[in-house]
Amino acid sequence: MRALVLLIALSTPAAADIAEAVQGQILPGYAAFQAAADRLAATGKACDIKAVQADYQATYDAWMAVQHIHIGPTEEDGRALAVLYWPDPKALGAKAQRALMTGDPAKLAPDAFAQQSVAARGLLGLERLIYPAEPLPADPCPLIAATTADLSRVAGEIATLWGPQAQLLLTAGDPGNGAYLSRAEARQALFTQLATGLENLTDQRIGRPLGTFEAPHPDRAEARASGRSLRNVTLALQAMRAFTASLTPDAPQTLAAFDVAIAQAEALNDPVFAGVADPAARLKVEILQRSIAHIRELAISEVAPEMDVGIGFNAADGD
Amino acid sequence: MQTSRRLFLAGLGALALPKPSWADAGSPAWLAAAKEGEDYRLHGLSETGESLFALPLPTRGHAAAAHPTRPLAVAFARRPGTFALVIDCVTGAQTHRLTPPPGRQFNGHGAFSADGATLYTSEVVAEGSEGRVGLWETAGFARIGEWQTGGIGPHDMKLLPDGRLIVANGGIATDPKDRTKLNIATMRPNLSVLSQGKVVAQAELPDLPQASIRHLALVPEGVAFAMQWEGDPAEVVPLLGQWSLGAAPVLCPAPEGEAGRMKGYAGSIARAADGRLAISSPKGGAVQVFAADGGFVATYARADVCGLAPLGAGFVTSDGNGGLCTLDTELRPLAKLDAAWDNHMVAL
Repeated sequence: MRALVLLIALSTPAAADIAEAVQGQILPGYAAFQAAADRLAATGKACDIKAVQADYQATYDAWMAVQHIHIGPTEEDGRALAVLYWPDPKALGAKAQRALMTGDPAKLAPDAFAQQSVAARGLLGLERLIYPAEPLPADPCPLIAATTADLSRVAGEIATLWGPQAQLLLTAGDPGNGAYLSRAEARQALFTQLATGLENLTDQRIGRPLGTFEAPHPDRAEARASGRSLRNVTLALQAMRAFTASLTPDAPQTLAAFDVAIAQAEALNDPVFAGVADPAARLKVEILQRSIAHIRELAISEVAPEMDVGIGFNAADGD
Repeated sequence: MQTSRRLFLAGLGALALPKPSWADAGSPAWLAAAKEGEDYRLHGLSETGESLFALPLPTRGHAAAAHPTRPLAVAFARRPGTFALVIDCVTGAQTHRLTPPPGRQFNGHGAFSADGATLYTSEVVAEGSEGRVGLWETAGFARIGEWQTGGIGPHDMKLLPDGRLIVANGGIATDPKDRTKLNIATMRPNLSVLSQGKVVAQAELPDLPQASIRHLALVPEGVAFAMQWEGDPAEVVPLLGQWSLGAAPVLCPAPEGEAGRMKGYAGSIARAADGRLAISSPKGGAVQVFAADGGFVATYARADVCGLAPLGAGFVTSDGNGGLCTLDTELRPLAKLDAAWDNHMVAL
């Protein structure tokens, strides 16, 4: 009897975490992203810029709910990059788009466009067309239609291919599952998405515009032209908070730290991190960055042991 | 006359007291360091992924070097290393413990000379990270000298078929105590060929000075090398290159959508029997395979994968989850042990 109780105690939490994260977070997230991208493609075809802008914002919002997931079909064939290519320090995307706007229209046909550089496609490719910083060299409408149709295609592929990917995660450790040799491996993969996603916020989404005190780079913020830099951080925090709650019911410190950072982000009146060049405003961005780094520390000390996983042994090594 | 008598005597000696060989150690295919719970061990693995022996290590290991004939392995500590252990793989006994001379640190890799008489160890001068090759005789493992490597922060080194040594000078100067990188803005890695202590050939990547050249696999014309990118992570650069001695090094880029999956980091490299090359990225949870000519073939996903060695027509991989997988045209599980495999698999 005691052995049975112990067995149940050992097996129950493990069963909940993978299923809740996959079925409660990831799959609905990709379905919502696909629905948003489909609407965007319809609007993109008509090329009413105001309407495209609204659906672009909604699609970007939907992506931020799942952008921390980088496994399986999301990562294969460059799909995540084809949705969001950022950062692009050498402005490869803008250069490629100028060539596409003034070049052979055959390159905008769906199959040909899918072969174009990921830097020229995706949400930020679209942003450059519908929130142009400088006049565009030609009518952007054909490229807007091609870009939004391509986004919808990629979103559909991700949502569809996540069916079998979800099965792999849910049947981790079963005979014949070559992707995840144990349930611990699947939990490890999910936890890694959280740890890496938080690191991406501190190092990239906030770290790039922050630069150093001597050399801040407000121009490097993500999605500046559409005013989404801070919003993306806030949405990512909210999504990763929900993701964390799905991974373990018992992470009070980590969830509280998320709440602190989300409140700071919501109170930060600096939508594109323009303040990083101003000492007083910069401090608030730095505080947010530190709060997110703190979430990650807590996730490693609190969530990881709850899930019986750690940070990858070799991934953390660097040699 | 004298020669033949010596041969005769040597032959007699061998008859009287057969020297142990790798067969006596169970003929392992690979050596691999692992963490098990709080313990560190060096395993000898069979081609089916079975652990034939597991010998204790005092702290975290990195790579190992195997004696060409005697069943001796030298396990190197993770850098900055304070020890290298000579292990008798038949008895499991530690026969010698090598300690770097004052002011020197082991850097995780080493190689035996072809006749097995000399062990070369990858080292740095602790202050400034200037590279050294430590020389040790292998009868009693006494230090017999050292060479300059021709660069900063050497990591992997391999013996060329002609007996010369090729060293990956990673270019990174580190704090002697804590691995903090000190010279990222000015680093200049190189590949150096050493002959009797002299740098006789050298190659640099002038356009990619922040690509630290760290791991090597011999190819017929020279060496293939794996790099870790220390520049802006937003810049996606090739992580594999090949250097045919006498020519300029050639980089082997992966296609745009695939390249980023390695997260700017290749932790191991291996060459398959058919000439294909593989590099691994534990940070990206991916292995990328390239054709012998450097053309990209495919990316394979496996979390925390790092160790790589040739197996059959393709490769074997090891990872931090304890998995050993075969990789030919797909990645398939071979065995799983309750151990976190460390960076490298050393083929015997």
